[in-house]
Amino acid sequence: MNDFTELENDLRALRPARPSPVLFERIEEAMAENYNGVTAKEARWSWRHLIEWSRGNASDMNGQLDRATERERASQTPFRFGIALAAATAAVLLLLARINTDQTRSEGKEIAQVSPASETTQVLPGTQNLSEGRPVRGRSGVEGPTSLNQFIPAGATQVVYSERDEGLQFTDSSKQPLRRLRYQTQQTWQWRNPTTGASLRVSYPSEEVVLIPVSGQ
Amino acid sequence: MDNIASHEDWKSYFSEIGPGLLLFARQWARSAADAEDIVQEAFVKFWRRNHKINNRALLYATVRSIALDFIRRDKRRARREATLFAEADPTIEPQFEWEDEAQSALATAVSSLPHDQREVLVLKIWNELTFSEIAGALGISQNTAASRYRYALANLKKSLQPQ
Repeated sequence: MNDFTELENDLRALRPARPSPVLFERIEEAMAENYNGVTAKEARWSWRHLIEWSRGNASDMNGQLDRATERERASQTPFRFGIALAAATAAVLLLLARINTDQTRSEGKEIAQVSPASETTQVLPGTQNLSEGRPVRGRSGVEGPTSLNQFIPAGATQVVYSERDEGLQFTDSSKQPLRRLRYQTQQTWQWRNPTTGASLRVSYPSEEVVLIPVSGQ
Repeated sequence: MDNIASHEDWKSYFSEIGPGLLLFARQWARSAADAEDIVQEAFVKFWRRNHKINNRALLYATVRSIALDFIRRDKRRARREATLFAEADPTIEPQFEWEDEAQSALATAVSSLPHDQREVLVLKIWNELTFSEIAGALGISQNTAASRYRYALANLKKSLQPQ
């Protein structure tokens, strides 16, 4: 069935070059250094990687590495918060700009549609259209997908970078003890404009506390 | 949250898998020194994040990820690597400790394989990963991993046949 057995054996007989002894020493040293915390080098790496990640360049295999527990990244929270704040500010400005543009367009539409009554009803809220038995359209009278400024959701990710078990607790409302878990996450939302190809990404850190009922035997 | 495996377990694990890991990293690195930097960073990162010692697919995925980041750190380097990949320059190919002419020819034939096939071959032969683990490490399906492996062997056989 397998006519490659001999070739596979020949390949296995071919030994890869051994790492230099220095590499073993370096790894042992790095493990010792990291045992009690994050080294300055790693902190720099995380910072650089975070920037790349925020640009969408990081190659963490679709985030599978980042989904793992990373207690030490908690020390990076101030940096993350700064970037997230900047991104959120940019997003708000973009959204405000979009709202202004929509309003301008809506006003223009109303002016242009003064004479035909049937067209004027399109700018009325959907409930009024429903009462008249007409199909419901957007408040601005402009179909969503054809709008130049229409951003559609393109993805959302939530990376848990820290998980902390804060132990059992008892609350007044629950007869059972509850296990309190605190998750620190980085949430990223993406929107895309299919017309222009522009994309918008907002990242922000978040913290979530989950209470899980614990039943005793 | 501590690793179940002890410090000594990790060290002996690395001495066992080190050569294969380095060979895998050599596919992206121009020099052995660069590959060793990648392996060091990946292995320590893997250990620091409390991953299980037997999660080999994730370890190799980490090496690959860091190797790609390593290339991106310097755009000039990235361009150079891209050019080298395109031209299949043998200087970036994996290195072996060959003992005779037959092994030398085999090493050369491995070096001339397409990158995606060689990647699977290196993981399968010299790192002894299963197709499932290879699929996990490279982000491909098991069937793709298996077919790339078969293509690699077929190509090797073809190139080693006397003209």
